[in-house]
Amino acid sequence: MVALERILYAEDEPDIQQVASLALELVGGYNLKTCNSGLEALAEIEAYAPQLLLFDVMMPDMDGPTALEKIRELEAFKDTPVIFMTAKVQPNEVQGYLDMGAVDVIAKPFDPMTLAAQIQEIWEKVQA
Amino acid sequence: MLGSDGKPDIQAALAALKVSFAQKIPEKIHEIRQSWDTLKIATDDAATFTLLHRQSHILAGTAGTYGFDEVGRLAKDIEIMLQDELTEHQNTWTALAIESLEALLRQLETFDQDVVLNQTKAMPEGKTEVELLPQPTSPKQSKLIYIVDDEDDFLKIMSLQIETFGYEVVSFSSLLKFSEAVAEQEPALVIMDVEFGQGEKEGIQYINLINAKREIALQTIFLTSSTDVLTRLEAVRAGGLGYFTKPVLIEKLVDTIDHFTHQVPEEPYKIVIVDDSPVQSAFAALTLQQAGMETREVNEPLELLNQLIDFPPDLILTDLYMPECSGLELSKIIRQMDAYVSVPIVFLSSEHDQKKQMGAMSLGGDDFLSKPVQPWYLVSAVTSRVKRGRKTRGLAETDGLTGLLNHTKSKERLELELSRAKREKLPLSFAMLDIDFFKHVNDNYGHPAGDRVLKSLANMFKQRLRQYDTIGRYGGEEFAVILPNTDAATAKMLMDHLRVSFSKISHYSVEGDFSCNFSCGIASFPEFKSGSVMNDEADKALYVAKESGRNRVVVAP
Repeated sequence: MVALERILYAEDEPDIQQVASLALELVGGYNLKTCNSGLEALAEIEAYAPQLLLFDVMMPDMDGPTALEKIRELEAFKDTPVIFMTAKVQPNEVQGYLDMGAVDVIAKPFDPMTLAAQIQEIWEKVQA
Repeated sequence: MLGSDGKPDIQAALAALKVSFAQKIPEKIHEIRQSWDTLKIATDDAATFTLLHRQSHILAGTAGTYGFDEVGRLAKDIEIMLQDELTEHQNTWTALAIESLEALLRQLETFDQDVVLNQTKAMPEGKTEVELLPQPTSPKQSKLIYIVDDEDDFLKIMSLQIETFGYEVVSFSSLLKFSEAVAEQEPALVIMDVEFGQGEKEGIQYINLINAKREIALQTIFLTSSTDVLTRLEAVRAGGLGYFTKPVLIEKLVDTIDHFTHQVPEEPYKIVIVDDSPVQSAFAALTLQQAGMETREVNEPLELLNQLIDFPPDLILTDLYMPECSGLELSKIIRQMDAYVSVPIVFLSSEHDQKKQMGAMSLGGDDFLSKPVQPWYLVSAVTSRVKRGRKTRGLAETDGLTGLLNHTKSKERLELELSRAKREKLPLSFAMLDIDFFKHVNDNYGHPAGDRVLKSLANMFKQRLRQYDTIGRYGGEEFAVILPNTDAATAKMLMDHLRVSFSKISHYSVEGDFSCNFSCGIASFPEFKSGSVMNDEADKALYVAKESGRNRVVVAP
């Protein structure tokens, strides 16, 4: 199995960004590139070449679902797994995100101490 | 931020972020208030509606993530109300709807600067909830006891006796000096004579007087020569933890002091974590370590059995699905081994299927935690199972009277410590001791007195030996002590010290007070290489000690 190392993370809310970075970098030990919007993520993706994308759903400029659509058009990243983070986790809402092509959805608020474990689990599931 | 072990101190970093976020909460709530006040007057202002929706949405997500659940919940309620208003009521805003949102917001506004900062303060810097759980590794350290009585002789005897159990005792025959001392240095516990001074029950009244000026009452044990129920009641009302009538049974008194000052330290919980994913096991390990437990991670399931030998765990936490060997198979193997038959096994898995969980239970698993598991939940689930496990195991493995390990368990522990000593190339000493003329004690002072002697020896040893030393009751009046990383000469010095201290304890009986001493034989590694040889040699040395006059320590040649 390929180990997960590089994650591209888009989130506009600085407070969430900070705590998630801590969770992923310190707890999870991942390499993280943080962006403030979907648009910024699109601009960074080629240079950073992430293995996994973690997108907030609600963002100004470009929201998560739109960013996902744009990324699927890029040949190099058409299969890169995308995880959405959102407070909207009713079963039908989650299904909606999965239908868009997300591999999984992480609920907000999340627990900073387990976020990395959640991501790792999703990664292992996708790899299997 | 780095912890003491050089690893990033995540909890500390998280706590720092939390404090800085807490300071921003009032401002965020104020912003929501401003938007709402605007929207209230102009309910069709779409831009303000969107702004308010976004503000409450963000606060709901962030506050919850930082652990301010109540703030997060209220913000979420506001967000849901706004959502409903838009989708269900086409933004009509009835008076009731306005009032409801206003009420939610007012509730949210009670989380002003003070409340939020207090919540943060309640968590000492660098600590989070996980760490606030009771930590088995760090018992209260203070050993200072104040004793107040106006009989000088009684004071002297009591101080001496309590001191032999490892406490620092300061005695007072003047209330004024006592209250000055309390103001200067906080004692762990106070022992107060009820009939102090001229007045009746003046001791109780005096403690009441001191406590009235304090936030936390002094931990007090009262001594009295009266058996009057009313006095007892008053002592309870004054916050008395214990109440002893003179003559005082010193072992019982020390038992009570131990209980309230947590002097007998509990060993940290040992947890083995089996998970083929190092990230997952590291997460569980980190969480449990923060709560003061010791952990061992096993990423190759088949390695588990080797690890169990030198890290006998209180609990095994295992992933259910692993490529080499599943958690279920692993638990079957563990359950087939006598030594681990009672170790609780908890499965950790993302499996939500009830049937599979039942299957896991029937195969010898004790519980099932679904991933992702919240850190606080993991800690409390593990803690409660270890507590229960230790208790049942304790009943089977320890001696009921003294709470020490029984014969079989002591011998097992000797083998274990010996293999560790060999591996780490460190010395190890094994001492066997026997109370002198114990039959005489039972015959002359009665069996209850004899039991108290055994108990007081056990208590004193628990107090004075190190946390990783082992004390066992070998049977009757015979005890065994295992001293890791201790050579024969040091062990002799130590046991001699304990021998002298023990002989100073005055034991009470209806026939009059008496004292006891013991003889001791020591055998050490590397002089002797196996557990059974150490056992035999220590026994021989003990025999020599007895033959050459008792009340002495002899090292096996």
